[in-house]
Amino acid sequence: MGHGHHHHDLGGQPADVPEALDLSIPDSELSPADVSRRGFLRGAGLLGAGAAASVLATPGVAHAHDGPEDHPSGGDHHSKGGFLWLAGDHHIHTQYSSDAMYRVFDQARHGRAYGLDWMVITDHGSVAHAKIGVEKVNPDIVSTREELKDLLLFQGLEWNIPAAEHATVFVHPGRNEVAVLKEFENAYDGTVKNAGANTPENEALAVAGIQFLGEQVRKRRVEGALFLANHPARRGIDSPHEIRAWRDADPSVAVGFEGAPGHQAAGLPGGNAGGRGFYEGSPSAASFPGYPLESYRTWGGFDWMTATVGGLWDSLLAEGKAWWISANSDSHSNYLDTAQRGPDSNFDLNGKYNDPVYGPVLAKAGDYWPGQYSRTHVGATSFAYRAVMDGLRAGRVWVDHGGLINGLDVRARVAGDRRPGSGTPLGGVLRVHKGTKVELTIDIDLATRPNWAEFVPVLARVDVIAGSVTGPATDRDTFQAPNTKVVKSFEVDSSTGKASFTYSFGRVDEPFYVRVRGTDGKRSAPGYMGVAFDPAGPAMDVVGDADPWLDLWFYGNPIWVLPS
Amino acid sequence: MRYVEHVRYVGLSLGHGANREAEHWIHTLGLPAGVEACTHIARTPYPHVVVSLALPDGVDVALPETAEDLSKPAAEAAADHAARRGGRAFLFAGVDDLTGVLTVRDLLAKSAISRVKVLGGSDAEPEREVLTRDFVRPEWTDGTLTLTTSAAPGGRLAPFEFPNPTPCCGGAH
Repeated sequence: MGHGHHHHDLGGQPADVPEALDLSIPDSELSPADVSRRGFLRGAGLLGAGAAASVLATPGVAHAHDGPEDHPSGGDHHSKGGFLWLAGDHHIHTQYSSDAMYRVFDQARHGRAYGLDWMVITDHGSVAHAKIGVEKVNPDIVSTREELKDLLLFQGLEWNIPAAEHATVFVHPGRNEVAVLKEFENAYDGTVKNAGANTPENEALAVAGIQFLGEQVRKRRVEGALFLANHPARRGIDSPHEIRAWRDADPSVAVGFEGAPGHQAAGLPGGNAGGRGFYEGSPSAASFPGYPLESYRTWGGFDWMTATVGGLWDSLLAEGKAWWISANSDSHSNYLDTAQRGPDSNFDLNGKYNDPVYGPVLAKAGDYWPGQYSRTHVGATSFAYRAVMDGLRAGRVWVDHGGLINGLDVRARVAGDRRPGSGTPLGGVLRVHKGTKVELTIDIDLATRPNWAEFVPVLARVDVIAGSVTGPATDRDTFQAPNTKVVKSFEVDSSTGKASFTYSFGRVDEPFYVRVRGTDGKRSAPGYMGVAFDPAGPAMDVVGDADPWLDLWFYGNPIWVLPS
Repeated sequence: MRYVEHVRYVGLSLGHGANREAEHWIHTLGLPAGVEACTHIARTPYPHVVVSLALPDGVDVALPETAEDLSKPAAEAAADHAARRGGRAFLFAGVDDLTGVLTVRDLLAKSAISRVKVLGGSDAEPEREVLTRDFVRPEWTDGTLTLTTSAAPGGRLAPFEFPNPTPCCGGAH
């Protein structure tokens, strides 16, 4: 330990090279420039645990980094812990989806107004989209980029994963962004290829699709490509072994899933009054038989795989698999908006609906605008497309609902080390000698301004969740981490606008990971695994009675501590 | 003891992918009153829905043939139904009376359902109100026809299975 404090400016580095991020390529096969960049990233702690099959195999020491503070953006982001935290949403539909209606510009402009710095347009994969929409949406995205210069707007699509649910797939902007997405959709989309059925062949097609994306990056057709599975537990059809297979197919591409799905207004009493997130299903012939009924509902607005302490997400983290969570809008048509699809539309012919027109108030719609309720905060080194993708890949990400908090800096560190910039941030790996005293510091900027429901959220409690790292799972369908539990809860009582906590792990001898979660404390229940694991976790949401503004949570991604 | 004697159990399937499709198919057969029908999820030779029928003595209906490759899971479903260890009932005694809001006590009295359970917990109290949503699908487990419920608005319970789940985005599946 005792590594120094780095002062680098990523923006001043030579052109970014994706090979440096792909840890499946050994140093010996990299160009000297890539080796240099990889070394730099490692030294700066920016490689995080992402892009590696397992954190156990990640060399180097993750450390803090001070990013540049000058940037052209104007979002709600702010600098904290040396990073520029950029709020975003990777799951947004437009008039190029058969079940949506807004222009790209409508979504982008609203998301921007609601404080987002980056967004991904993800229209559904379909025959019409593969043929028409994937190309036609691009000029709309390009012109919106021109118009909203302080917004990073990615083009992606919502992939029908063969044999499984949906996923966000997106690429770095560039001359091949459309070509790569179109090729991908035509070759690997479950609907286009009629590959939705739950068969081994279709599961293999999903893996091949993720590998295809990684190849496009290595061939330098695009500068980056990412995959995040959407609403993973909604219908019980993303089995644990499929999730592991996606991750292992290319860990530089497949980096996570939605910790919280969109459609957060869908359970509003008096509104849609259905399941929060539209999570209202039951087991089917296509679902994984091991999943319990509880998995078909959200818990405090979060997907059961993430909300369960000692559940599926933790089982991946306990293996040492870097796997990150996000929170998005899945906006199709938004609660209390006044718009409707353009008249005389012919979606199949045109690949889009005509521009929306004024319509009656959407009192039963289940969605919020991007940024209105759900945010994915990425610790970036600059305001740039690549920096957002790098931050997502590194897991330097936390998510919140309803603006519960303003900022979060979590660090695993050698006890007592308080030098500025020291400590390992979210998504990182802290490597220490056995017997070293390690502690976790949590610094929170509390909400000081009203959220988009016009009240100032009050954070009541912060939980520290930790679990042993036990290596690769022998059963690829396991979705439990029996050694993970809430190890500490801090009550928040602050009038200063900030809250800081320290939790000591004492002298560490065995590998473990730690993550944090916080709540407004308005609604909680023992976790699915029981009181011993999670005495006051999120409660299962009630179909028809889930007001999302009265049940707010934030979640941070994990940090690993590996003594050796 | 309606089921002990004089009941014939039959499994049949067209290989439907969804419960709703299989239920619709059975409704088109025009089965006489008194037949109990359940859906079962089968995983082989591919994931599909099997229907089992409990046919009281004297009921004589022409039933569709089940394809050879689906006959084994169909026979297993019939056996599970007969043993009261499996099957999600959609036709059962009293189902038509399970509408609106009912107390647990009334729900048990009006139908063949023999147990109302709260998800993750114990049996529901007899006076607790159940919002049926006019859609009640109990399951045979351990010899009892059990309805699993969870919390509903207004302090009520509701069957866990929601009648019309919002179709997936895009309606692709």
